[in-house]
Amino acid sequence: MRLFATIAPDALAASAAPVAADNAWVKALESFEVAGVPVGVWAIPAIPLVFIAVYALYVGVYGERKVSAFIQDRIGPNETGKWGLLQTIADILKLIQKEDVVPAAADKPLFVLGPLIVFVGAFAAFAVLPFSSAFIGADLNVGVFYAVSIVSVEAVGILMCGWGSNNKWSLFGAVRSVAQVVSYEIPASISILVGVMMAGSLSMQKIVMSQSGEYGILHYAVFQSPVAWLAMIIYFISALAECNRAPFDIPEAESELVSGYFTEYGGMKFAMIFLAEYASMFMTSVILSVLFLGGWNSPLPNIGPVALNDWTNGPVWGAFWIMLKGFFFVIVMMWVRWTLPRFRVDQLMYLCWKVLTPFALLTFAFAAVWELYVR
Amino acid sequence: MAETLEYAPKTRLSQAGADRYIVEKEIETEYMTLNMGPQHPATHGVLRVELVTDGEVVVKATPYMGYLHRCFEKHAEALDYQQVIPYTDRMDYLSAMCTEHAYVMAIEKLLNIEVPRRIEFMRVIVVELQRIASHQVAIATYGLDIGAFTPFLHIMRDREHILTLLEWLCGARMLYNYIWVGGVSHNFPPKFKQRVAEFVKYYRPKVDEMMALLTENKLFIERTRGVGVLPADVAINYGCSGPMLRGSGVKWDLRKNDPYSIYPELEFDAVVPDGKLSIIGDSLSRHLVRCYEIYESLKIIEQCIDKMPEDPNFDPHAAVPKRIKPPAGEVYARGENPRGEVGFYVISDGKGTKPFRCKARSGCFVNLSVLPELAKGNLISDVVAILGSVDIVLGEVDR
Amino acid sequence: MSEYFDSIKKGVSSVVGGMSITLKHLANATRWREETTIMDDDNYFNKLNEGLVTIQYPSEAIPTPEFARYRLHNDANDCIACNQCANACPVNCITIESFKATPDDMEELGTTSDGSKKKLWLSRFDIDMAKCMYCGLCTYPCPTECLTMTPVHDFAEVDRANFIYHFSVLTKEKEAEKRAKLAKYEEEEKAKKAAAPKAAPATGARVSPLMAKKAAASADATAEAPKAEPAPAPEAQPAKKLPPMMAAKLAAKKAAAEGGATQTPEAKAEPAQSETPKAEGDAQPAKKLPPMMAAKLAAKKAAEEAAKKQAEGDGQSTT
Ligand code: SF4
Ligand code: SF4
Repeated sequence: MRLFATIAPDALAASAAPVAADNAWVKALESFEVAGVPVGVWAIPAIPLVFIAVYALYVGVYGERKVSAFIQDRIGPNETGKWGLLQTIADILKLIQKEDVVPAAADKPLFVLGPLIVFVGAFAAFAVLPFSSAFIGADLNVGVFYAVSIVSVEAVGILMCGWGSNNKWSLFGAVRSVAQVVSYEIPASISILVGVMMAGSLSMQKIVMSQSGEYGILHYAVFQSPVAWLAMIIYFISALAECNRAPFDIPEAESELVSGYFTEYGGMKFAMIFLAEYASMFMTSVILSVLFLGGWNSPLPNIGPVALNDWTNGPVWGAFWIMLKGFFFVIVMMWVRWTLPRFRVDQLMYLCWKVLTPFALLTFAFAAVWELYVR
Repeated sequence: MAETLEYAPKTRLSQAGADRYIVEKEIETEYMTLNMGPQHPATHGVLRVELVTDGEVVVKATPYMGYLHRCFEKHAEALDYQQVIPYTDRMDYLSAMCTEHAYVMAIEKLLNIEVPRRIEFMRVIVVELQRIASHQVAIATYGLDIGAFTPFLHIMRDREHILTLLEWLCGARMLYNYIWVGGVSHNFPPKFKQRVAEFVKYYRPKVDEMMALLTENKLFIERTRGVGVLPADVAINYGCSGPMLRGSGVKWDLRKNDPYSIYPELEFDAVVPDGKLSIIGDSLSRHLVRCYEIYESLKIIEQCIDKMPEDPNFDPHAAVPKRIKPPAGEVYARGENPRGEVGFYVISDGKGTKPFRCKARSGCFVNLSVLPELAKGNLISDVVAILGSVDIVLGEVDR
Repeated sequence: MSEYFDSIKKGVSSVVGGMSITLKHLANATRWREETTIMDDDNYFNKLNEGLVTIQYPSEAIPTPEFARYRLHNDANDCIACNQCANACPVNCITIESFKATPDDMEELGTTSDGSKKKLWLSRFDIDMAKCMYCGLCTYPCPTECLTMTPVHDFAEVDRANFIYHFSVLTKEKEAEKRAKLAKYEEEEKAKKAAAPKAAPATGARVSPLMAKKAAASADATAEAPKAEPAPAPEAQPAKKLPPMMAAKLAAKKAAAEGGATQTPEAKAEPAQSETPKAEGDAQPAKKLPPMMAAKLAAKKAAEEAAKKQAEGDGQSTT
């Protein structure tokens, strides 16, 4: 069957990508050494880390506060610096200065390690995110698979936080969270498979390349199949749940569980959990845009002599596009959060198992048929 | 003690269509005691609810209160009749005007005072404005309990206008001391009536928007529909009142059933749920009652503005007694507060300027007592939803 | 099955509806709040219909109406130390201390802005704003309208002691001087009275129980104390110590036992104290007696017609 055959590398040639992912920047960095010390190799993971920090600071926290403020007819932070731009930095400074409290009754190793693992789980997935045609941490041939599975590590961290806190509310939050993350991986994975199937590869760069072409946006996977949009929406909803974002924020439901699994956390440990949340928001947004919205490909088409697509493609443009797409979905997530009430545990499971999963399966089946016989 | 507890009252849950939580137990699990409050975001103040849970299902809920007890009744015995009014404000601080009104009616009954007609209209206008403001808080915080943050701030924006209006009227924003025995403290400022009419016009579309954003949201409906069903007979047996009782389908509104002031002259409905969107008696019904009562209050305000007698030289203190020294006697007066019936039972020994005894009947207190009944067999998230729909103000519960 | 799809449809449509509302608000966020006040802008609700509504509080503020009930202020030059505000306050946060001025000081004491004469030196007028509940009850009975609530609403303090506002204009030295003068004057009066005994404790009836107690305690008022408060002290002191309920009952019992017939000093003092200020205060907006006149009237009544007054009071209360 072609479904399996497409994973073979020669099938890729058929898609005739005008932009090839050469990972040039990564290769250059890899060979960059100072006095025998592989500085470049270290720089590769450092770049996403710095990126996460800056993004979480500005798009994450500041953006969220501004978006929520505007939706609620408020102004939001505006005293610290121009338009409140320094507000998050002030907050971080405050968090750093805070005393690092570990509750007496807490299980100390778990309590301390929990936030780290939560963060590492979210951060590790950045290794396979194609930031540009020239930059990807590790161009694994099973990149998507890796991303999906490494995120599950977060669940372990959350459970550690919740259990280690030795607080009943935290435990509730952790249990809810793990149940939720594990359940939602199923519709998420199935809808990811739709994208993977259409691209015929598990490698992030190859998936992106399969969606490039001179008509820009028209080559995106979401327009290549009549059900791809449904898969995209299902993935987006599941992504919300996996990031514990509203309306699926029951693990931290502040009006029920105080703050869920991080009730007992403060200072930098709290910041770490926060950072992880924003990191995974961006990560899922990027995966979504890679699978369905062309990753770093420009959406602009070539119109005769006006070769918009060619002009707006390239490694730097690629980085621009993917961030734009990523940030767009992050902002949509915020918009959803500030609109909707919260689910209840059982409704959350109902949505997952009785709505999203069947629809994802149907989509998957239809997409497979479409790929086999129509496209 | 947990072993003796009855697990999930099956029949009532099934009746309510809420039997989805009834799980057949295969393994013996331990009950867990969970302390919700007094510092918990969902307890609306300093209420402590002790939950005995089996997993996430609540087996028993016991509210403990008294954290905000301020000896209102004892204080009242040491104060002049007039001086008690600011204390009644502080019982239900979200509907101070309404509580004042009930208290003042009691004293007027004791003194046998006729209140000028214009005063009655003024009182009804401020009381209905207050009712809207109070329901707004109830709805907004209910949204917050369910996890919708934005409607909260939208509603607060509109509530602000009511508070500004009342501040303009009497100088205070929440605790007014406005309604006096025999009168009110300030006449309406010029243009006040006009501004209230403008507010009514401004606010109607905002309620519609709030309904679209919160009440009609499928997630919200799912969270509240069929949760914490209070059958009418149980509600009556417990002595519930206000939206809590009307939510159970009992058409009981003191403004209709025991009319006072000028309510008999006004056209409005006692809102009861029709059972289309909600299951009668559930949390959603109570929420809907509050939403529709806002519309009714707007209607009342409009009518009052039209009918209110004009008098340019009106003195709101004309009927205020120079010295309140009622003859010996006792009296009970009650009013329909946003949170249920509030009544004052006042005894005068006829000798002093202070009440001999002043007992306050609080709607919240009685409504809260149903919580254990409602919470049983529901999830923790539902307890939050139920507690929010009961809509308590701890100031009034504890007094 | 149709229910299943129906609920999905409803879910999607209500989510989309909600999101469009929030998007509208997001788009409207470009509109800043216009400056307006509810008091005098006919366009108020149109201006605040859409867009951002919050303001930057410390730098901007919504104007409060001019008779807003926030910080109390006493124009001490106008205060005649009549103690009615302290009596009206439900939480007893006003403390007034005063003492009589000697006749030759009347000139120096001056008059209030509405022309009535002052008779007492106001040595202390403290309001504990931390206790105050902003009910405004104290401002109504004030005969000279010198005690007012101002629209100043932002007066947080670091130290709670700063919440006790001192309004008295009398300096310590001057107070001591005047007190000494009064003591001397009264000494002389006493001597005179020994010749022609005729007591007219006019001021005594108006001194608050609390004040009287304080005065009794104060060292330099030893001479004046027994004279200045003949009536209220014995009555008031037990009332202060007992639980209010019991005290009230006790008072009631006493009153019942005494009836209106006995002409004991207690009976005289009681109506003068609790009734006349009330009558004046409540009538204040409608008609206003010149305060001094009212006070004189009260004193006279108290001295001469206690029994009659009591009967009258009972009649009044039922109106
Ligand atoms: S405002 Fe009320 S509490 Fe404050 S001093 Fe005046 S009477 Fe007392
Ligand atoms: S009521 Fe007015 S005049 Fe009398 S003591 Fe108080 S502030 Fe002074």
